[in-house]
Amino acid sequence: MLEFDFSPLVESWRFLALGLSVTLGLSAAVIVSSTVLGVLVGVGRVYGPRWLRLALTFYVDSMRAVPVLVVLIWTFFAFPLAFGVTLPPLAAAFAALTVHVGSYVSEIVRGGIESVRAGQMRAALALGMTTSQAIRQVILPQAAIRMLPPYASIVTMTIKETAVSAVIAVPEFMRSSEVVSSQSLRPLEVYTVALVVYFLLMFPVARGVDRIYRRLAHLGRS
Amino acid sequence: MTDAANSGRVGADRPPVILYEEVVKRYGGFVALNGVSARVHQGEVVCLIGPSGSGKSTLLRCTNALEAIEGGRIVFEGQTLPTPALAAPVRRRMGMVFQNFELFPHKSALENVAIGPRTVLGTAKAEAEEKAQALLVKVGLADKAASYPSELSGGQQQRVAIARALAMEPEVMLFDEPTSALDPETVGEVLNVMKRLAEEGMTMIVVTHEMTFARRVGSWVVVFDKGRVVEEGVPKQVFEQPREQRTRDFFSHLSWSG
Repeated sequence: MLEFDFSPLVESWRFLALGLSVTLGLSAAVIVSSTVLGVLVGVGRVYGPRWLRLALTFYVDSMRAVPVLVVLIWTFFAFPLAFGVTLPPLAAAFAALTVHVGSYVSEIVRGGIESVRAGQMRAALALGMTTSQAIRQVILPQAAIRMLPPYASIVTMTIKETAVSAVIAVPEFMRSSEVVSSQSLRPLEVYTVALVVYFLLMFPVARGVDRIYRRLAHLGRS
Repeated sequence: MTDAANSGRVGADRPPVILYEEVVKRYGGFVALNGVSARVHQGEVVCLIGPSGSGKSTLLRCTNALEAIEGGRIVFEGQTLPTPALAAPVRRRMGMVFQNFELFPHKSALENVAIGPRTVLGTAKAEAEEKAQALLVKVGLADKAASYPSELSGGQQQRVAIARALAMEPEVMLFDEPTSALDPETVGEVLNVMKRLAEEGMTMIVVTHEMTFARRVGSWVVVFDKGRVVEEGVPKQVFEQPREQRTRDFFSHLSWSG
């Protein structure tokens, strides 16, 4: 018969809350930076010159081929050896996750752009817009709406993936849970709570974006 | 071009607004335009007719340099057309209306009409929207300013698209099969707007399958087949006494004889 004892969690709630706040802060930062990176890479892959498209394709393909854990560990342990710059764990996690998630965002951006009918670009150009005006005023706003459902998956994936930064001792929620678990010897209780907390965090994000999308979808249909 | 070829043509004595000289356009191995020469004068309504794939729409897209040409040249107001990458300043002087409307779905009707002056000319928002509202009135959609394209019928969308093109105060309007994607009951409202534009003296090039429009509103008709001009003339001559067998063939395919 299992006996549950949640008291270690109650005693360490401040510590866990701090970890959760690091998770949320890191997630928000990575989502913003990887979105910026992903839009630039996605636009570059569709409209850029050939050499740029090839370089960006290589970046995206390599990021999709390598586990995020490897990217993270490489950034933390190998990058300092190669370049003589040591990154604090949080900065290393931010950089590695941005580069990794950014490649996925770029694919969504590219798909969104390419799904907009070619006639929309022609109509914008026919008015006398430059290509970059057409991209900003006509193509990207529509692509952004079409991108919302897959983008919601990326957002939830990003929040979850911050958990891997526990391996380089970033004091985020997963790391805090590990610490509490090993000190209290109550892994079942601790990780069950972690599971529930991650779920409660993610569920509204996915549902919320889905709701926004359904209200905006008609604006992206050309 | 000989005088005989221009017989009865209104405005033929004036310099052409657009001049096509031996224009060649290829898509890979397919020759879409095989040496097309034609001219459009100020105030003319030139209707391009002919079978699908004969090159009419391609010529229109080359006219505002949405497509590059491989041979010959196109002259607009005395200037040879630049390559597509450099054509933005020329395009803003020509309005274009598309078969599938191509309204911007994330913008209201008013914003669709105002976006050209706002983005391209840097017109202030209030001024651009005031002018846009006036144009919506002109195409009979004063009450639809706040509607999004998804809330409008095909005919209404196409009228907004015409207003959008007019907002740039173009010297020429290019119509690419403007009624081909419309429900039959909304074709008339679009053709009426076009007819009024023609009566106001707008120079228009119209690719169309609406033979009644070409006949009644067109001032010059150019018949295309397989990337070449088969014949051209005033509507009365082309429709009633076509000189070429291929023109007669085209007309005979139009009428249903089942």
